[in-house]
Amino acid sequence: MKLFQLAFAATAIFAPFAVQAEDYPSRDTTLVVQSSAGGGSDIFARTIASQLSELDIVDRQLLVENRPGGSGSVAYTYTAGQAGNPYVLQTIASSFFTTPLLGQSPVGPDDFTPIAVIAIDPYVLAVGANSEYETLEELVAAGSISAGTTGVVNDQTILAALLDEASGLKIRSVPFDGSGEEMSAVLGGHIDAIFGNPSEILQQIEAGDLRALAVSTDKRLDSLPDVPSFTELGYDIAHSQIRAIVMPKDVPDVAVSYWTDAFEQLANSELWHTKYLEPNNIEAAFIAGDDLKALFDETTVSFESQMQKAGLIQ
Amino acid sequence: MEIFDLLLSGLGSALTMQNLLATFVGVLLGLFVGALPALGPAAGVAIMLPAIVNLDPTVAIAGLAGVYYGAMYGGAVTSILIGVPGDSAAMMTTLDGYPMAKKGEAGRALGMAVYASFTGGIISLLLMTFLAAWIARAALAFGPAEMTALIVLALCLVTVLGGEDAYKGFIGLGLGLWVGMVGLDPISGTPRFTFQSIHLLEGIDFTIVVVGLYGLGQMFAALGNTASSRREKAEYSVASLFPHFADFLHCKWTLLSSALIGFFVGILPGAGATAATVFAYATAKRSSKSPEKFGKGAIEGVAAPEAANNAASYSAMIPLFTLGIPGSGTTAVMLGGLLMLGLEPGPRLFAQQPEFIWTLFGTFYVGNVVLVFLTLLLIPLLAALVFVRISVLFPVVVAVVIFGIYSVSYNVADVMICLAFGLAGYLFQKLEYPVLPILLGVILGPLLERSIRRSLIISEGDLSVFWHSTIASVVLVVAVLLIIWAIVAPLIRHNKKVSPHA
Repeated sequence: MKLFQLAFAATAIFAPFAVQAEDYPSRDTTLVVQSSAGGGSDIFARTIASQLSELDIVDRQLLVENRPGGSGSVAYTYTAGQAGNPYVLQTIASSFFTTPLLGQSPVGPDDFTPIAVIAIDPYVLAVGANSEYETLEELVAAGSISAGTTGVVNDQTILAALLDEASGLKIRSVPFDGSGEEMSAVLGGHIDAIFGNPSEILQQIEAGDLRALAVSTDKRLDSLPDVPSFTELGYDIAHSQIRAIVMPKDVPDVAVSYWTDAFEQLANSELWHTKYLEPNNIEAAFIAGDDLKALFDETTVSFESQMQKAGLIQ
Repeated sequence: MEIFDLLLSGLGSALTMQNLLATFVGVLLGLFVGALPALGPAAGVAIMLPAIVNLDPTVAIAGLAGVYYGAMYGGAVTSILIGVPGDSAAMMTTLDGYPMAKKGEAGRALGMAVYASFTGGIISLLLMTFLAAWIARAALAFGPAEMTALIVLALCLVTVLGGEDAYKGFIGLGLGLWVGMVGLDPISGTPRFTFQSIHLLEGIDFTIVVVGLYGLGQMFAALGNTASSRREKAEYSVASLFPHFADFLHCKWTLLSSALIGFFVGILPGAGATAATVFAYATAKRSSKSPEKFGKGAIEGVAAPEAANNAASYSAMIPLFTLGIPGSGTTAVMLGGLLMLGLEPGPRLFAQQPEFIWTLFGTFYVGNVVLVFLTLLLIPLLAALVFVRISVLFPVVVAVVIFGIYSVSYNVADVMICLAFGLAGYLFQKLEYPVLPILLGVILGPLLERSIRRSLIISEGDLSVFWHSTIASVVLVVAVLLIIWAIVAPLIRHNKKVSPHA
């Protein structure tokens, strides 16, 4: 009887995550997003979810779930806590690397299984249309400005630190709960500038509500041919965001290969290029497996040195 | 008068068979989801998303919008009948809705909620139809400094909700502010009051607090009090199941002001429908001739929050459609839906997809009417729930609450936190502490903290940022006047009472 109870308990513990190759996935998978709805990561997640089902790459639905806050560590902590659960995917941003470095998140890249990078997203420095600053030069001449950010330390604050280092412009980063609130603040003239992904701010730039001053890639963007890059303007700054997917640690191999394969198919599909990359002016990419693990390690090192240079950590 | 032509053609396409059917099904599903405690409109819309992707965009949006306002009303149903808010925006409705149901006026309260939802919805829709683009620009004037002033004003307004004992009210508010602070600091990212638990790192979801503290708390208290519950049950009659149309006329001014409050608060970035209901309820109580009836089953106490939350639910869509900025959790999910359907909300949507926008507006109007018919038919059925014995009903409700909380986050810790708040709510009831100030602290505290700290970063620590903006200074002056009035008014009243004898 004792043995029976023990066996029963064991099944109850392991049964939820016991996965057979032929029947995986046997239910819908949750895609956790670390920002609130409407931001670049959210659009990325929702596009993935709809295109994977539109292209019939996966049989089951991907359910997008926003867990914003804590500079992303809220979502990462949640997902890391799902170790072994093959029905959880997670989008990541730079906060994935920065929050553990700053000691703000109890979990770091080692607590996850990397799946794939499927795009690389540049940043555009923009000011409100009514702003007194017409060019980057004028902005730098202002000496000190405020800029929105969606986290305490992320790609946006790293860019701010890099710009400070290269030009001497002091940028006071104001953390908002999501890019929607951040956008409202710059459109309303409450903050001076915003570092935004093209997918978040191209519409406002084209509608004449925002004025783009510089892009964070080496070359100009196809969608903003008149906007110079930082490098062109004489500042040695190039920093873009990787759009990647991870899973919790200890998920079964069958789940890792299932999703790696699914994302490779997606990244190579025409739909992905015409309906996501091109309209949002995001660069194509596909990195998985050991290459991705190496990239994660490199990124951590590069963030660490950038943060040390910027005086954010010792 | 181009706008009328556009609206009429929009109404026309909203009334096609398939759009009408989608609205109808959406509203029914929404009512059901909204009535489940902890599952609100955002969850309802999110659940529906995968099912609608392959439909025609307008049919899909008609269905989604139906779920949205169906759920907004569904939240009121449980608030009134069992005192457990179906979602956070229905919290204020429990204050008077549940006492009304206990007095045997469940049908009347549910009816008022329908009239209020309808009126709030229509007023908000009309404003939205004619002023959307302009108002979205105007709302941008509310930055961190203006939001700070607005929340200070809100805190002054809601002092009327503190209950009879001011000390207990302030203790509750302090507790609420503290609960709102749990989790990662929104500005510097350091953990606060998390006691090293990763479950508290995310902060405590407001829905969990309100369902636990208010809903479970008062149910636990009622279960320990069998004598009174039996007595109340005897007073129910069949007539109590039906709405009273006269209430609608009686509350017309409350409805109008609450709808306007809901509309304006709904547009502001990050404020939300729940804050709108608090504003509206506090204003209704302040302007009422018999404020002492509030909280004990005043019909205006149901009218105000329901009109406000429905008005806010529509106006929250204005920044979404005109600027591409989602103003609330539900609109954020709607944004996801629009993107999945291949539509890109933002400044160009009105110009590029006029047909879609106006059909959408059309379905909003039609959906509002569908909601009234559907719910008026259902009210006697829903209200009959009061005939179920409390000893049978409450355990079922507790089970449904646990299911609802779990299904939102799939996290047992959330269920435990909710039960702990239920226990705390029970204690507060026994010790006669008002629960509402705690909830107000949880809603307004984080908004206030974020706004103040953002303002000060922008101004480099210069406090004058709070009165340099015209809007902020006007709002702050109103807040100061409210405080002065609170001190002066009792003196005047006292003098009036004294003078005849003098």
